[in-house]
Amino acid sequence: MNQLIYNAAVWLDNTEWSTRIHESYYLYNWIESTHVLTLMLSLGILFLIDLRMLGWAFADISANKLATRLNTPMLLGFVVMFATGILLVYAVPVRSAQSVWFRLKIGLLIICAINALLFHRKMTASIGSWDFEPRAPKALRVGALISLITWSVIVICGRFIAYDWYDCNYPQSDFIRGIAGCIDGQTQF
Amino acid sequence: MSNKDDFKARDDRGAGIVFAGGIVVFFIVYWYFEVQSVRELLEMAYG
Amino acid sequence: MIFSLMLNYRKTLCSSLFFLLLVSFFFSELISSSHIAVLPVFEWMETTWFGVAGKTWGALFAVVQAGHLVGLGVLGGSVIASDGRLLGLFKGLPMRLVVDRCHSVFAWSLALLVATGIFMACGVAIKIYYMPVYWYKMLALTLGVLFVFFIRKPILDRDLDQVNPWLLRLLAISSIMIWFTVAATGRWIGFS
Repeated sequence: MNQLIYNAAVWLDNTEWSTRIHESYYLYNWIESTHVLTLMLSLGILFLIDLRMLGWAFADISANKLATRLNTPMLLGFVVMFATGILLVYAVPVRSAQSVWFRLKIGLLIICAINALLFHRKMTASIGSWDFEPRAPKALRVGALISLITWSVIVICGRFIAYDWYDCNYPQSDFIRGIAGCIDGQTQF
Repeated sequence: MSNKDDFKARDDRGAGIVFAGGIVVFFIVYWYFEVQSVRELLEMAYG
Repeated sequence: MIFSLMLNYRKTLCSSLFFLLLVSFFFSELISSSHIAVLPVFEWMETTWFGVAGKTWGALFAVVQAGHLVGLGVLGGSVIASDGRLLGLFKGLPMRLVVDRCHSVFAWSLALLVATGIFMACGVAIKIYYMPVYWYKMLALTLGVLFVFFIRKPILDRDLDQVNPWLLRLLAISSIMIWFTVAATGRWIGFS
């Protein structure tokens, strides 16, 4: 599996545009800046909705209306987020694919996606009965809390990707080499 | 509305226009020079 | 007559004077002498507990930075929701409530940003001292904070139906502009 990921990453690394983005100071920085600044659109709005569900903010505004009206800018934010995220990985494929933090981030993103799906389902099923109550039903509150915590850890992971503590081109313990997916004798990093 | 409130509302509005205008000018000038300097650098690098 | 006019338009006059002073400060000799004058403050910042901790533990610095990013997200979210509503988006949400509730979320996230920001600044004080973009960010931040608490809030505390819709739009656009600039210049500090 790790060999497969490594091969795919090496293949991506050898494509022309990967090098172009990687080598271009401005292009790479602009993509990364867009990725970070879109936090305001995606994560910012998501957190507002989560805070509403928990009753920590917007308690006297209809939860359903808040969630549905703010849905479009939030989704737009996430689309930009994923597009720029993919480009960032594409620019530095091997190191990203073998980053402990990137792998953790992907895992957490999957958890978030499942959580969001369950949340959405419970929300549409229960709406109307509690719309103007300051706090959402317990199941939704748990979902909102999971979303808040997991996304915060995702941001931390994203920040940690920039650090080279666990990179494969340094001597690492077997445990780290295992989860990072380092390949013995690999030539590209 | 009393006369005092009326003046207060106008003063708030006036300050709002001045300050917002200042911010808009700052935004335009700052980003104009920022974009300009990036363009110059790119031109120096790639011609 | 002129005196009473001045008294009645105190805030407008103060705002105009503020921008006038800002521009003259920018083009005067004072700007370089005050830049030199604040150097000891930045040198001291690096010796504080925050500065030492930020420099010693990279992981701690990164976690605080992530906190700063989460704060940025929430601040941006509240700005988008509130100013978007003022611009006529998100119809169906009560403008009064959205604006008020967003303001408290904004204030909390600003507090988080300032706290984490001070920690980060201490860790790299000398580096940012020599960066023009850092000073532009501080200028934008100062403008933003003054604008939100002393200009925007008093107007939005009034009956919103009585306020000219164009004024509301102007406030919304300038608020988006200034907070975008604060965020973007902040991001650029990391690259320089």
